[in-house]
Amino acid sequence: MDIQRHLPPPEPTGHGDEVEVRILTPHIAQPHFPAMQVTGYGLSLAITLIAFAMVAYHWMGLNTLVTVLIVMAFIQGALQLGIFMHLREAKGTLWHLPVLALALFIGLGIVGFSMWIMLFKSGVS
Amino acid sequence: MTMNPWITHLMKRLFPPQVLLPDIIGIDIGLTVAAIAAIVFLTKTKRWGWLWREWITTVDHKKIGIMYLLAALVMLFRGGVDALMIRTQLIAPHQHFMSAQQYDEVFTTHGTVMIFFMAMPMVFALFNVAVPLMIGARDVAFPRLNAISFWLFAFGAILLNISFSIGGSPDAGWMSYPPYSELMFNPGVGENYFLLSLQVAGIGTIATGINFLVTVLRLRAPGMTLTRIPIFAWSALITSSLILFAFPPLTVALGLTMLDRIFGASFFTLGHQGMPMMYANLFWIFGHPEVYILIMPAFGVFSEVVPTFSKKPLFGYEAMVVSLLAISILSYGTWVHHFFEMGAGPGVNSFFGLSTMLIAIPTGVKMFNWIFTMWGGRIRVSVPMLWQLGFIPTFVVGGATGVMLAAVPADYQYHNSYFLIAHFHNVILGGTVFGVLSGMYYWWPKMFGWKLNERQGVWAFVFFVVGFWLTFMPQYFLGFQGMTRRMSTYPPGLGWTALNFWSTIGAYVMGVGFLIMVYNIIWSRIHPDWDTTGDPWDGRTMEWSLPSPAPEYNFARIPHVHSRDEWWEMKQEGRTDEVKISEETVHAIHMPRNTPMPVLLALAFFVGSIGMVFEWFWLAILGGLGVVAALTYGSFADYSEKEISRDTILHTEAQLGRVES
Repeated sequence: MDIQRHLPPPEPTGHGDEVEVRILTPHIAQPHFPAMQVTGYGLSLAITLIAFAMVAYHWMGLNTLVTVLIVMAFIQGALQLGIFMHLREAKGTLWHLPVLALALFIGLGIVGFSMWIMLFKSGVS
Repeated sequence: MTMNPWITHLMKRLFPPQVLLPDIIGIDIGLTVAAIAAIVFLTKTKRWGWLWREWITTVDHKKIGIMYLLAALVMLFRGGVDALMIRTQLIAPHQHFMSAQQYDEVFTTHGTVMIFFMAMPMVFALFNVAVPLMIGARDVAFPRLNAISFWLFAFGAILLNISFSIGGSPDAGWMSYPPYSELMFNPGVGENYFLLSLQVAGIGTIATGINFLVTVLRLRAPGMTLTRIPIFAWSALITSSLILFAFPPLTVALGLTMLDRIFGASFFTLGHQGMPMMYANLFWIFGHPEVYILIMPAFGVFSEVVPTFSKKPLFGYEAMVVSLLAISILSYGTWVHHFFEMGAGPGVNSFFGLSTMLIAIPTGVKMFNWIFTMWGGRIRVSVPMLWQLGFIPTFVVGGATGVMLAAVPADYQYHNSYFLIAHFHNVILGGTVFGVLSGMYYWWPKMFGWKLNERQGVWAFVFFVVGFWLTFMPQYFLGFQGMTRRMSTYPPGLGWTALNFWSTIGAYVMGVGFLIMVYNIIWSRIHPDWDTTGDPWDGRTMEWSLPSPAPEYNFARIPHVHSRDEWWEMKQEGRTDEVKISEETVHAIHMPRNTPMPVLLALAFFVGSIGMVFEWFWLAILGGLGVVAALTYGSFADYSEKEISRDTILHTEAQLGRVES
């Protein structure tokens, strides 16, 4: 079923970002099997399970563990952004850059600060 | 009498002793009678179809906004009754109006309901009602998702609210800190209710955040650049981005606690190397931005109300936007001030103490901007403006005591005392609630087509504000005298008696204020003061260029915007006829169709959550399958849009006198 047929063509918004309006139009009429999405879904589940197992079954020492977990978190993030969050579909805009930078800043901030804050436990207990 | 042991077990689980108190049974009976009365009324007046078509399956942002508002008012009543019960208990020393256990349940419910099920939906009500109309849009970016958000909130609220009569209320405070919220100390189902209801409502909240982010960024009318949108739309934009970053940590904290309680994990337990303080850390990564999620829409409302009722453009638009942005960024770097006493050390505490104090600067900027907007203006003291005038001193006191709390060494004295209680009620009640009530009175005619009676509104305001100050000013001093939060009773001879007495009297005065407000709404509904112009306050922004209430498609023709206070400029330059349409300019409009999918999806979440609460996993799986089914149906159902024809639009607009001959 061709849903795009029912939608009116994107109207000019007058903000100079007409190109992007197209992205809001759903791309539903895809003829092929969504192999990439299914792979990405499988991979993200696998990474989650491996991370869980690494912690639950003490596969490595604390410092190595934290490093590996952070690397895996980045891979997970890239998977989500690249496959499910339409990051690669955006054309003709720089909007994404500051938003991504902000997300990265806040994400790293939360992780970094939490580690800094919670470090007291090793000193106390 | 012998009973099937299985049924006995089930009855014990559903109705433990804590829900079999006489007052709770009384409320149960009252609610059942009310529900039967409602069903009989709907059946007798044959309104089920109307309810289903016009409200339950609607995706119209205006109707969703109204539903949010009504739900929030009901929740304000529930949370308010809880507050009155707390204050009744504390009116004198050694009171035993409630047992300590029931007292814990009541303050937990009070906090949770007020934050998540009163303040948040009230904010979303105003977003839904005002933002699309202000920016010249026909609906939000994702109308069906908007309905999903509402129903998830509604079923989350129901889930929390049934806990007191089925299974038992949560009793670990609205933060539900472990280890007390863990299975070891809290074996009932109350905490499960807390976790699941917030989880369900939280999904809806995140979706609302995405929705309004995209709406403001993408659906602005031609010519309405980001520097021309009303500040309320800016506040919606920034609040939405805060929601997007703040709610996931809460989801994680609640999810891990659920794993602890239901599946025997030990993330936050005392044993097995669990780390209870990590919950506090995660909770406040959410919790601190959350208080700005609550207050920034209030700032947005006041930035609309003050210029309108002063007949002046807003002073310092750019400074307002920059300060909103500064608050949003800074609010992410302050969360440790909720637990300085954890002992993270002087480095951590100094950093977060300083960052907390910094937030006072952009907030102060906004205060001065509102005052300078009023300066030299022709001020009309209508009810929305009254709430703004009440807000300024209240919020300044709240902000100043906040800076006092941010001073780390002093906080070791104030922490979790009544000083803190008074502080956050000063900013949340005196800030957010005054703000949303101001917005409610301001946009009420736009929602319903009639104004709320002015005189009764003034009385409601007077009682509420006098009661507010009388309640919370004594609490600062109680805090100085060492009374801590969550005490279910206290002995005489500590100098607390008189202060507590006056605080309780204040709470009742506030309750009277709320009742007057309800009377005001009902009276004005029976004797409506119709708003025929669509612009009852002589407004400045685009929503006032529409009739009240706005037709389904909002704008028959999307306006072209040339300036910040576009509608005001149009009135000044005599261009108001521009909003009219003619035979030539009118086009058919595509609008999204109503759909039952949102309410079914939320119902499936509700059923699954009940399964998780009572650990009936077959029911949880059933609910989960229901969620998948609803999502699948939503993905494959023909979601094509309906078309509102030219003739319908011409007819509607002609009736409103908005067609050029």
